[in-house]
Amino acid sequence: MTLANWARYGLAATLATAAGGMLIYRRQPRINHDAAPARSARHRRRFGDYRVTGAAVTVRATPQQILACWRNNAALWPVLEFLPFPEGHQDDLLLPPSGLRDMASRPLLTRIVTEREDELVAWRSEGEGHADMHGRLRFRDNGDKGTAVEVIVAVRPHHFASAWKTEAMMAEALELGLLRDLRRMKMLIETGEIATARLRPDAV
Amino acid sequence: MGRIVAVGKESTLEVGQRVVVPFTIFCGQCFHCSEQRYSNCDNSCPVEDQEVAEKAFGHPMAGMFGYSHLTGGYAGGQAEYVRIPYSDVVPLVVPEDIPDDRLLFLSDILPTGWMAALNADIAPGDTIAVWGCGPVGLFTILSAFQQKAGRVIAIDGVKGRLAMAEQLGAEPVNYHETDILDALIQMTGGVGPDAVIDAVGKEAHGFSVDTIADRVKQTVGLGQDRAHALRQAIMACRKGGRVSVPGVYGGKADLFPLGAMMQKGLQLRTGQTHVRRFTGELLDLIERDVIDPSFLISHRLPLDEAATGYRNFRDHQDEWIKVVMHP
Ligand SMILES: [Zn+2]
Repeated sequence: MTLANWARYGLAATLATAAGGMLIYRRQPRINHDAAPARSARHRRRFGDYRVTGAAVTVRATPQQILACWRNNAALWPVLEFLPFPEGHQDDLLLPPSGLRDMASRPLLTRIVTEREDELVAWRSEGEGHADMHGRLRFRDNGDKGTAVEVIVAVRPHHFASAWKTEAMMAEALELGLLRDLRRMKMLIETGEIATARLRPDAV
Repeated sequence: MGRIVAVGKESTLEVGQRVVVPFTIFCGQCFHCSEQRYSNCDNSCPVEDQEVAEKAFGHPMAGMFGYSHLTGGYAGGQAEYVRIPYSDVVPLVVPEDIPDDRLLFLSDILPTGWMAALNADIAPGDTIAVWGCGPVGLFTILSAFQQKAGRVIAIDGVKGRLAMAEQLGAEPVNYHETDILDALIQMTGGVGPDAVIDAVGKEAHGFSVDTIADRVKQTVGLGQDRAHALRQAIMACRKGGRVSVPGVYGGKADLFPLGAMMQKGLQLRTGQTHVRRFTGELLDLIERDVIDPSFLISHRLPLDEAATGYRNFRDHQDEWIKVVMHP
């Protein structure tokens, strides 16, 4: 190999190393989470030991009507995947929906810990379940579009290898499921039914 | 269209009523429905079907009859019986004394042509160019004249369809025989059409460089849309003009003349048809004999022969303009 070739390969290797280094350097999360609205910060999914996920929809209803549906509408509870629900109970205990029942081998019970009228309901898990979970529903006026409803759930798995398939899969399923839950609740509040394409001869 | 044979508990319809059912399904209650953007309804697409469209388009679509799982997987309306969701708001109850043939197209293509013309924002006397003289294109031409267009120039490659456009009062231009951009410039005294309407959509034909590139990409799975008609329409449109797109697109198109859009200051409007917003107005025009949409019907078949109808519609476009099927 000639000297010129050595120089050429050397230069290429140096450039490749520099480019790789730049990439790695740029991939470091250097983001101030407070600078991004809600859950839109990059690399946001971890806060300490917790995985944080959430979803939002806007419903043409007041916060009271939305809470009343969540608390009292029995048509909602069977279709919920990840949003815990009170099932009409007055003692603040929330029941785990189908998705949480499938994921954890023991029922994940949560209890309402904070309630601010028209603004917020927050809950957290209790007892020795397989995970430590905090969640909240938050309401915000969205002008003539209605009320923006945001759900945020933070989970810290206790023994995630056994209790959850993998943390990442859990977070993804949770985010999708929470969005579906909110959308079904929106349908029920706005139209009194949950859309389906199935033919229903029994509807007569 | 058809007759109500059974109703759900909360339906406001009655058994025996004669109805036309729009292809767009909507709830009538959400924010978009409250502004009559029915094809943007939040609630009519089942939740589990919303995610595909959301990935592809950024937001989910409304439910539609016979339009794949992107729009909820509802079965199509070419059937003996159809379940109509949200039956208190979706169907249009129609008078008994008007024949089926004149009412049927209120369900889809007549409002689509009407909305295409509205989206072109026609001022009295304007010159409008319409790409595609299929059923939607022909109804677009009819609608443009109703909305006071001065001239409509109709572009297609099928002689029988161009002849129908001419009967509606349009000036036909055959792309097999003409350089379209050159023709439009000459026909408008160097100005270009005030508004252009792409009633072709993602399946444009032709032998231009961009169409061949689109076809190659479609074949190898790199692209979905053949957007030749839209590209040409944007190039042809006069400065400061309007671009209306009733033609269906589903993916991404490159070689898109974004520079022409921006530098000429064009406005673009498109969307699935908000059918029910226009049916009252159109029914009134039909009742008063101002328009008769049945001119479009070229063939009638029993429902059993639907496959034959579709095959001929594809292979013999000159004669098979619109097939009506009777169950
Ligand atoms: Zn709606």
